[in-house]
This record gives sequence, C-alpha cells and structure tokens, in this order.
Amino acid sequence: MASNNIVIGIAGSGGDGVISAGEILVNAASSDGLFVFMLKSFGAQIRGGESSVRVRMSSEPVATQGDKLDILVVFSWKDYLKFQSEMLLEDHVVILSDSEDSFPEENIPISANKLKNWYKVPFNQLATDAAGTSLAKNIAMLGVISELFNLPKSALEKSVKKKFSGKREDIINKNLSALKAGQNYVKKEIEKKDSVLFEYTPGDPRIVMEGNEATAFGALYAGVEFYAGYPITPSTEIMHWLSVYLPRYNGVVIQMEDELASINAVVGASFAGRKAMTATSGPGISLMSEGIGLASMAELPIVVVNVQRGGPSTGIPTKTEQADLMQAIWGSHGDSPRVVIAPSDVEDCFDCTVLAFYIAEKYQLPVIVLSDAFIGQRKESINPNRFRDLKYGFKKINRRITPTEKELEDYHRFKITKNGISPVTWPGMEKGMYQAAGIEHNEKGFPSSDVSVHARMTKKRWEKFREIKREFSFERLYGPDDAELGVIAWGSTKGAVKEAVARANANGIKVQAIIPQILYPFLIQPFHDFLRHKKRVIFVEMAYAGAFRRYLRGFIRFGDFGVETVSYRQTGGAPFTVGQIYDKIVEEYEKKDA
Amino acid sequence: MDEVKYSLKDYKSDLKPIWCPGCGDYGVLNALMQALVKLQIPPHQMAIVSGIGCSSRLPGYLNTYGFNGIHGRAIPLATGVKLSNPDIKVIAVGGDGDGFSIGAGHIPHAARKNIDMTYIVMNNNIYGLTKGQASPTTPVGEQTKTTFYGNMDEPINPIRMMIAYKASFVARIFSGDPKNAIEVITQAIQHRGFSFVEALSPCPTFRGVEQFKLIREKVRYLPEDYQPTDEVRAFDIANDNDFIRLGVIYRQDRPIYTDIVRKMQQVSEKIGKPEILDLLKLFEP
Repeated sequence: MASNNIVIGIAGSGGDGVISAGEILVNAASSDGLFVFMLKSFGAQIRGGESSVRVRMSSEPVATQGDKLDILVVFSWKDYLKFQSEMLLEDHVVILSDSEDSFPEENIPISANKLKNWYKVPFNQLATDAAGTSLAKNIAMLGVISELFNLPKSALEKSVKKKFSGKREDIINKNLSALKAGQNYVKKEIEKKDSVLFEYTPGDPRIVMEGNEATAFGALYAGVEFYAGYPITPSTEIMHWLSVYLPRYNGVVIQMEDELASINAVVGASFAGRKAMTATSGPGISLMSEGIGLASMAELPIVVVNVQRGGPSTGIPTKTEQADLMQAIWGSHGDSPRVVIAPSDVEDCFDCTVLAFYIAEKYQLPVIVLSDAFIGQRKESINPNRFRDLKYGFKKINRRITPTEKELEDYHRFKITKNGISPVTWPGMEKGMYQAAGIEHNEKGFPSSDVSVHARMTKKRWEKFREIKREFSFERLYGPDDAELGVIAWGSTKGAVKEAVARANANGIKVQAIIPQILYPFLIQPFHDFLRHKKRVIFVEMAYAGAFRRYLRGFIRFGDFGVETVSYRQTGGAPFTVGQIYDKIVEEYEKKDA
Repeated sequence: MDEVKYSLKDYKSDLKPIWCPGCGDYGVLNALMQALVKLQIPPHQMAIVSGIGCSSRLPGYLNTYGFNGIHGRAIPLATGVKLSNPDIKVIAVGGDGDGFSIGAGHIPHAARKNIDMTYIVMNNNIYGLTKGQASPTTPVGEQTKTTFYGNMDEPINPIRMMIAYKASFVARIFSGDPKNAIEVITQAIQHRGFSFVEALSPCPTFRGVEQFKLIREKVRYLPEDYQPTDEVRAFDIANDNDFIRLGVIYRQDRPIYTDIVRKMQQVSEKIGKPEILDLLKLFEP
C-alpha cells in the first residue's frame, strides 16, 4: 500500500536517541520539501527516562500528528508501555523492535492482528558492528526504516551529516556507516512482508520550526528589545532562543528571580520606551496577574506569552491543555483591558506574536498570547517564503505614538482622546516628565481617588477596544458557508478540527469550522456571519469545564440564531485526534433529521 | 564650580505631599532633592521608581520621570528601566514594609546582579499608609494594630542583611540630619552599582514623638578611621546595639550588570547582525 502520508512513532529510553532520530527524520523530510509534523513526549525524568517521538510526513499539507501509527519503532517495550495511550496503531501497522529486548512477548499489549508485521532487528548490534558504539543505534534504525519504507534516503544522509557537523570527522563517518548498515541489513536480512511504502515527489526545501521558536522569532521580527523571564515548562524555549539572538540586536534578556519580578521588569522596560515581553505558563501568569493589571492601568505596552500546560498548580507540566482562557481574559483585579490572541499552529505562533507587539504598541496595553504545549513544543515544516509576504506580519511595526512639541508644552500623559490612545514619553525625553502609576490618576498622571476621575479614566482605557474591534478581523474558516453544522474551536485544536472538517465534507457531510485568533476583545461579526446558516454547532476545547463555550455564550445568543450548541471537550494531555472530532461531527450531523 | 543649571525648583513637582506633619519622609525628600541639585542630573534623565506605602508616594513629589508601581516591586520595576536605558539615573524608593516584607525576595537579586541603581528605604518600623500595623522592622514587644499582645517577630536588621547580600554600597542616614543625608545620598547616586541607603524616617503618627527622640539620642557618625571596604568591621557596625551609626558602612567595587550586558552585546555583534529574516537559515533542515 503505497501512501504519500505516513506516521512513524519511536519509543525508547532517553539514551536511545529517540528524539535525535525524530529530528533527523524531520530534517530529511523537510529538505525534500515534505510537509512534516513532529511531536515529542517525555516522562518526568530529567535525563534518561522514557521518551517518544512521532513524525508524520506527507507531500500534502498536514495539520495534525496523525491519529494512528503506520510504523512503530520500539527500542524498549517497557518504555513503550508508558506511551501506549498516546500511540494508537493502524491495523496495518509495521512494528520494528530491538531483538535484544528481553521483555516477555506475552506481555506486549498489542492485539495479535496488529503484530502481523513485526520485525525484530538487532539495532544495537548493527550500531556496534558498524560504528563501534551502541550510541549509533538510532541512526542504524533510521537506515532500516528508510530502506524498508522508502523514506528520503539521500536527504537522510545529509541530515545525519548536519546533525554531527562540528564533531570529529570519524564520528560523522561512524554514523554514516551505521545508517548504511541499517539499510544493508534490510536488503540482506529482511523479507518484506508488509505493504507500507512511502511514495512522494521531492519539492523545494522547507524549514523546520518549533512553536516556541516561532514565537521567539516572531518577537525578534516585531522588534522586541527587552525580555525578562523565569524558567517554566513548557515555555522556556522562548527564553533560550532569545537569550542567544536578542543580544545580537542590542536587546536585553534577563533571568529574574521569579515571575513577579519578571513582569515588573517588563513593565519597567516598557516605561523606559522599550518593546518588552515575557513568556511563562499558567502558574506563572497567576503570579504575573497583578503586574498585568499594572500595565493595563499605566497604559504600557507589554507582550505576555502563556504556553499553557495541564492542570492547576503543578499539574502535568509537560502536557498540553486549554484551560487558561478565562485566566487570560478575566484573570485580574479591577477592570483591566488586555488583548488575548491565540495561535493555532507553529506558523501562527510567529504571526500572533508579531500581531501582539503591533497591538500592544499601538494601543498601549498588555497583550497575552495564549499558546500551549502542543503547539509550543512541536515541530512543523514551513515554507520559508511565507515570512516574506505576511498577511498579519505588519511590514512596519509601529512604536507607540509620542507627543508633538506643542503637546509637550502642557503635557497630559493620559489625555482623554476619542480612541483612548494618548501620546507617551519615556525617560530621557526632554520636557516629557510624568508619573506612571498603578494608582488611579488624572490625565496629567497625578494620583486621584475622585470617583468621577476613576469613571472617566476607566472609560478611556476601555475605549481602545472599540478601535481594536474596528481594525481587526482575525479568524479562520474551513468548509462551506452554507453548512448547517458548525464547529467552533480555538488555539491548538485547530489542526484536528481542520482535518476532521475536510474529511467530513469529502464524505458528503457538510460542516464548517470557525477558529478565532483574536479572542479578546470579542470580534462578533465573523460569528454572526458564520451562524447565518447554522442549526447546530459543536464547541471543541481541551478543557474540562468548557470555559470557551461559556465565554462565547456571553457574547452570542445562539438561541436567537436558532442554533443549538453542543460541547465536545476533554481534559488535556494527549491532543484531540482527527477521528474523535470526525466521529463527533458525524454523530451531530445525524441528529439533524431526528 | 560649574554653572548651576538645575535648582531645587526644577526637581520639585506641583504636588503637595500627603504625609503627616512631622513625618521623616519630608527630610528624606528634601535631602534627595538637594543631592540632585549637587549632582546636576537633568530631571528628564532620571526615573524615580516606587512600590506602595507612605514613602512610595515620593516619586510624585519630584518633577522627574516617576513610576509609582505595585506593592513590593519597586526593585524589579527599576531593574527593567535601568537595563532598558543605562543612561537614565534610576532611584528606587519605598518603606520597610514594601522593601523588607512583600518585596524582600527581590533585594538579594538586584544586589548580586549589581544593578546600577540607588535604593532608599525610609524605615519607620511601622505600616503607616494602612494605619499602624507591624512591619518587618518593628521592635519585639511593640504593640501595633496587628500585634495587640506585643510584636513577637525578631526585626530585620537592614544594614546587616544588605552586607550579607553583597550590596556594593550600604549606608544609613537619619531624616533629622539633613547635612549627612545629602552627602550620603549624593555618594550613593554616584556609586557605580547597587547602592542601598537605609533612611531612619520616624513616624510620629503611629510611633509617637519618642521614636524621633530615641533615634536622635542613639545616632553617631562612623569612627574617623573607618574603612567601609572592611566587611567584618561593617558587620560589627551593623550589629552595634549601643549606637546607630550614620554614613557609608560598606562598599565594594565590582562590575555592574549593564557592563555585562554591553559586553554580551559586543560579543554578539562580532558574530554578526544579519537581517532578521536571514535568521531563517537557522531553521533550514
């Protein structure tokens, strides 16, 4: 069965080089122009421990990791058990395991019909013979699967070379020998009994990015000048990346003592006129809430990225969830306007971060980018040219407006204007001195506890929302407008929803999905348009309490549109599969005549 | 002496302090303004940053850039300002509650990073703005609104704490001794690195006039032969229970954070500063 879409899963211990193998595979496929999607999964151990990787490659665009594996590579069955629920298998799955693994076969939790195509391969031995070290067994494995399934072979060789570039010549050669040894093993020793074969035509090379890298790169593109942060999974890669590249552009990256310090340093930097940001995860946002309120009150532009993780408190930090929506939008003391944007894939991490800086600087308020572990830590292959023609990547990133000479003669930092935006100065600007404050203040910036001043200034700060709603429309639509069944989702569930909707429409089930990217302020018009033909909509979200559906119901009276709403949600951890959402679509579609 | 370009009125704002009559903070504000006149720092090149409390209202009384932020966060706020623009003179101000209670976690980090700023804590041993609760420097046994049966917590010794944190400049002033206060604040602002000034600033409203008298009786200048670079001796001064010593108690010269940042940027610049979109190369497979 030749296919141009293949999903490979690899499970093992940290020392098995599982992630490296996945990365090499992703790079090889991308340099041959394929669409690639890679998801990593780890246990809690710092080093060693179990890890798994899943790589999907196709010559057609892919939006998810693929529901089930066509190929499963197991270095150790013991490790595989930990990922069993995350690695579902196709009936035609081909399994390759290390022949030295002593795990009792009767304990392997895979039904007999899926064990039909099972090859036991001496990965360890192949590596030791060819490279003199078992460390190269992941490379030997890549040799085996590339030969057996027709994966991009010459690109793979290039990727292995690149992976070990900078190392001694003999290390590169040893790894190349291991790759060859794997390929030769298949030619000599394996009689192919399965039918899985990858078929593709090479295209122009694509680049490979992780969501968190795309966020960091987007920030740099938008002109970030100051980053203060505190490490927290799964967001820290953003700080890692910027700590290397931001200083090259004269920016500052500083690791603070906690999130309280981080957010206040960012607000301080913004006060000093810099484009400033921080990134964290839900628990960090909790600590930053007061500081976000300060930025809102002092009308200072800041960008705060929340790469959401699972559960309250420590929760499951290495896994994804979408349960911080309400925290992002309402998580504050007092009426504090902030904008919330949700990226829905790796490219979007770039776009949304660029947009976040644009909005923050223009409107002088905090912008929260609500990403999650699923997008932040996965890799996707991307067309590099898309960055040169950005729909939402504004060519000219504005800095906040400054007062004119005339305005400086009697400067009112918080001057009430029609759109709520007042010109701002910063330390170093002559005649522009003012007091920024978390305390309520008048237009001049002086403290005031006068209730009428509070009313006027609160209104002024919210006035910006009216303008933002006018300026932007940022949502994505999939499927025909006249579908009576709709799906409403946000953020990282987009991929599965998109593929499920495409599959449904291909099977004659008319359905349309809408994915808003700007979540707050709520841009209502696209939803009114969307709902025009709908009779029933399914809310898809990875959050037990279903905050997204409740949130939307606050803005839209679905009953007035004659629309029934259904919630489809699950707790975080493993992302939705396309199949899950497809089945839900079918289930709700069939109700239409009931 | 050079031409005096900025006088007191250039540093003073139109805002009238909310402080009670007899509050020590008036003396500190005045000494700070006098120091600024001495140093002739242009008002627009200054940022005075604070948290919450009576003394945290101080930035508003100066005609410089100011930021009255949230409780306990003056230090990180000031850090952000300083690193964003090293040309700006940054002074953080606040009280003992703001600095040593809610904000205490930030102090060691600003000190060890040696952020080039001055931090003036107006210590009155009480929470004044919220009307009389125990602070981290309230003496043992004192009755306050939250310690009806007498304060049981050992008070923090700010000078000892700061020396232990390796703050590169540690000094003490008394609001009732303006001459010394002006001199010490001037030195603190001139110091390259994190300079800490504990300002004994009595609160007649909640600690009575006795507090002022008691401090007046106990304050002494440092001995003539005193060398602030001697850490052991500085600890002795900090631990002295008989006298409260005024002046620069400890100082140390070491690299400041902004120098390190600049060095980092220079190294990076040597590697090159390509067009941002050229960085896409990094992501090539």
